[in-house]
Amino acid sequence: MKNNKLQAKDFITIGIFTALLFVVEFACGMLGFIHPYIVAAFVVLIPLVGAIPMMLFYTKIEKFGMLSIMSVLLAIIMFVTGMGYLGAPLIIAAGVAADLIAKSGGYKSFKKTVISYGVFCLWICANYFPVIVTADSYRQGLLDGGYSAEYCDNLFRAINSKTIVILLILCFVFGCIGAYLGKAVVKKHFEKAGIV
Amino acid sequence: MSLKLDPRTKLFMIFVVSAVVMMSATTPFLWAVRIAMTMVPITLLILEKHYASAFRFLILYIIALFLTFRFLSEQSKGFLMAFLVGYCSIIVQFMPAMITAWYVVRTTKIGEFVSAMQKMHVPDGITISLAVVMRFFPTIKEEYASIRDAMKMRGIMLGGGNAVRMIEFRMIPLLFSCVNIGDELSAAAITRGLGGKVKRTSVETLKMGPADHLLAALFTAALGVFVVFKYVK
Repeated sequence: MKNNKLQAKDFITIGIFTALLFVVEFACGMLGFIHPYIVAAFVVLIPLVGAIPMMLFYTKIEKFGMLSIMSVLLAIIMFVTGMGYLGAPLIIAAGVAADLIAKSGGYKSFKKTVISYGVFCLWICANYFPVIVTADSYRQGLLDGGYSAEYCDNLFRAINSKTIVILLILCFVFGCIGAYLGKAVVKKHFEKAGIV
Repeated sequence: MSLKLDPRTKLFMIFVVSAVVMMSATTPFLWAVRIAMTMVPITLLILEKHYASAFRFLILYIIALFLTFRFLSEQSKGFLMAFLVGYCSIIVQFMPAMITAWYVVRTTKIGEFVSAMQKMHVPDGITISLAVVMRFFPTIKEEYASIRDAMKMRGIMLGGGNAVRMIEFRMIPLLFSCVNIGDELSAAAITRGLGGKVKRTSVETLKMGPADHLLAALFTAALGVFVVFKYVK
C-alpha cells in the first residue's frame, strides 16, 4: 500500500462508517426530546457508543483524508437534518485536526488514535453552536415553535457560553475513555474473528 | 403520470427546506408558506406512486400540526405536556426536511445522483461517500431488523437488564454485517469503474425540464419570503 491517494474502496468505507455514526447520533438524539439535560449529556453518550464503530474505522484508516472527508459528510448531514450551518466549520476543523493527529502517529499508534478520537468527538459540540451563538433568537424560535418555556429554561441552564467549555472538555475526556472502551470491544470481537 | 425531476433540483429543494426549517415561522403567512412547502414533496411522492409513505407523512404531519395549534403554548407544563410538546414541535419543525430527504433518497437512482454531482464538479471523494451513505440507511435498517429478530428468538429483549450488553449485542453484529456489505459494495463499485483514472461517463442524461425550473423558482421564492420576513422586516 504505497499508493497515497484515496481509492474507491476507501470512499465506500467512509460512507459506511459515516452512516453508522449518524445512526448512533440519531438514536441518542431521540432521547434528547425527553429532557433537555439529556441534550447536554450527548457529550457523554455519543463518544462512548460511537467509539465502537469509530475504533473499527480507525483500524481501516491508512491514508490522510479519510477523517476529513467524514467530517465534511457529517457537516452536510447535520445541515440537511436541520442542525444548522453554524457548527459546520467546527465539525470540519475537528475532523481535519483529528486527521492530522492520527497521521502524526502513522495511523497505527494507539496513543495518537485516542487523542485523535477525542478531538474528533468535539464535532458533537457543534450541534450546540446555534444554541449559544444565537441564544436569544434561538430561544424565541423554540418558544414560537411550540416548546414549553420550561424546556427552554432547562436547556439554557444546561447549555450556555459558560458551560460550553466544560462540555468541550467532557467531550474530549469521554472521547478518550470511549476510545479505550471501543478498542477493547474491537479487540474482543473483531480481532479474534480476524476481520481487522 | 410520473414526473421525473432532475437530481439537482431535488438537491436544491433539500437545501432550501433545511434552511427554512431552521427559521421558525412566526406569522400565519409564514406558516402558510411553510405548510405549502411541505405539501410539495408529499405531492411529488404521490406522483411517483409512493402512496403509502406519502399518506403516512401527510397524516402524521396534520396530527402534529393540529395538536401544536390546538393545545400547546408557552405555558404548558408538566412531564406529559413537555413530552408532547417536544414530539409535536419536533415533528412540525423537522418534518418538512425529513419528507424532502425521504423523497429524494427514495426517488433518486444512485447513478443519477453521481452524475448530477459530477456535473456540479463536486470532488469524487465526497460524491462517492455521500452516495454510499444514501444507499446505506435502508441497508442498516434491514440488517438491524433481522438482528433484532435473531436476538428476540434467543430471548434477549430491548430493555432487559443492563444497557452495555444491550448495546453490545446489537452493535457488534450490525458492524460485522456492515463491514461485509462494504466489501461487496466496493467490489461492485470497482466493476462499474469507480475510482478509475478516466472520467466516468453516465447512462443517465440529465436535463432540466420545465418542471425543474418551476419548482426551483417556487422554492427560491419561498426562501426569499422567509429571509425577508425574518431579517429585513
